Amino acid sequence: MNKILVVDDDVDILSLVETILSMNNFDVQAISRWEDIYTKMDEFKPNLVLLDVMLGGADGRDICKNLHLDNKTRNIPVVLFSANPEMGKYIKECMAQDFVPKPFDISNLLKTVKTYVN
Amino acid sequence: MLKFNDISLRNKLILMQVFTSVVVFGIVFGVFIITDANSYKQRKVDSMVSIAKVLGTNSISSIQFQDPESATQMLQELQTVSPEIIRSEITNKEGQVFASYSKAGTETFSIPQILHGKSYSFVAQQLFVSNPIKSNNEVIGNVYLQVTLTELQRIKQYKYELAFILLLVALVFSFLIAVLVQGYLSTRLLNLVNVVRKIRKTGEITKAVEDKGKDEIATLIQAFNKLMDEIRENQKKKDEFIGIASHELKTPLTSIKGYVEMLNMLEQDPQKKQFVKKALNNINKLESLVKDLLDVSKIQSGQLQLEMKEFNIDELLNETVNASQMVSETHRIVKQDSPVNEMIYGDRQRIEQVLLNLLSNAIKYSPGENTVILETEKTEKELIIKIRDYGIGVAPEEQTNIFERFYRSNKVAVHISGFGLGLYICRDIINRHSGRIWVESAGKGSVFNFSLPLKHSPIQQIHA
Repeated sequence: MNKILVVDDDVDILSLVETILSMNNFDVQAISRWEDIYTKMDEFKPNLVLLDVMLGGADGRDICKNLHLDNKTRNIPVVLFSANPEMGKYIKECMAQDFVPKPFDISNLLKTVKTYVN
Repeated sequence: MLKFNDISLRNKLILMQVFTSVVVFGIVFGVFIITDANSYKQRKVDSMVSIAKVLGTNSISSIQFQDPESATQMLQELQTVSPEIIRSEITNKEGQVFASYSKAGTETFSIPQILHGKSYSFVAQQLFVSNPIKSNNEVIGNVYLQVTLTELQRIKQYKYELAFILLLVALVFSFLIAVLVQGYLSTRLLNLVNVVRKIRKTGEITKAVEDKGKDEIATLIQAFNKLMDEIRENQKKKDEFIGIASHELKTPLTSIKGYVEMLNMLEQDPQKKQFVKKALNNINKLESLVKDLLDVSKIQSGQLQLEMKEFNIDELLNETVNASQMVSETHRIVKQDSPVNEMIYGDRQRIEQVLLNLLSNAIKYSPGENTVILETEKTEKELIIKIRDYGIGVAPEEQTNIFERFYRSNKVAVHISGFGLGLYICRDIINRHSGRIWVESAGKGSVFNFSLPLKHSPIQQIHA
């Protein structure tokens, strides 16, 4: 089963995404504290990271860059999602795979996720 | 006709300076010529009076001895020495002409009558002089001279010509100086004007206008810079606000939309499912409204940035027609069947936004109808995309206004909801692609057209 790590500081959105992905047969871990992401990467070893950009205290873009600078996590695809549609412009710069704007359609979210794991 | 107000500041300054110099030089030369002529006349009077005096003294004996011949001879000799004296006369005590001599062709009229008892007079470019002949303090006669002033005319003519040439020289010099001097003033003002023009054109407030002066222009420039700083500061605050508002509005909306979509998927009871669907429709409306408001704020603050790339327009047209078809239960969206076969250089996502907006408008404003048609027309320079509906149409007087912010057609304001932002955003996006957007409507139905410039690049098939 494909493992997906979801990071978002809004717990409602977090559990929403967790539910959607679980219902679609993904193994999901959801965290609201961005500080936990690096340890989770080691423990959980996800196949894909779904990462919010405005994380309250941290910028998802920076975290994404850090993940790509680390040899252990370099090859794990990251999909950014944000309420600010302008963030879509930064995916190349921070080496993310894709961008999903919020609010999202469930079908759209699933389509994007399935592009990178399967 | 060219009005003074319409001339550029630079030319106005040059014109004023040249005009002032010419007027000043003109006055100076005028005064110079007049005083010069007067002093010439005065000198002439003085010299003629002395000649008359000498003549008088020398003719005393001729008068006393009644010897007009010698007096006439003397007058004749005078003529050869001073050819400007064209007539001379000596009268006796009774005023009768004793001796006279005149150049051929000189009119003979009474000099005393012209003089009226004055000792000299200028009449018709000629000088008339009279001087009494006195012997032992007794007037025994009079000397009259008629002098032509052609010399004065010649001098005047020469001075006028000189003045004219000097005036021309002055004109040239004052023009050259004006061009140099105005540069100092107008360059500074033009710097300001150029920055203002740039701001108007791009909407971006970039750098301050540089100026080192301490005069009124400097005050103006400083005030302008200060104002721009304030605007920049406000814009920054506004942008921060938009960013925060965007996040704060969209975050709960994301949850609501997601959970309602989940409900919609899971709900089996038809009536409940109907309710959930209605809620979902309205959430989507709210979502697009929030998007539109944020887009308008971006347009207003000049922050709507396009990501220009080449893309296949046929692919986009098919995708948008399909996407619109998915959400419409009432209308069939018909795409004209000939592919454009062109690459468009533009922001694919924004063009998609325009297409979706126009298609959803076409559906929204043609209630009771069932068809919306998408057509394309290719010309040498542009691609025109037409979205045709058979709905309520747009009145002629509203056909430009509908592209304005918050404008809502009188026909629809009452019974079809909307905010009047969609077409405003479309217009901005299309204008920024150097295209045009317009509506054609004659009563029933309307065609919304927009054009995109064509570059005629070879088609690239993009395989997903």
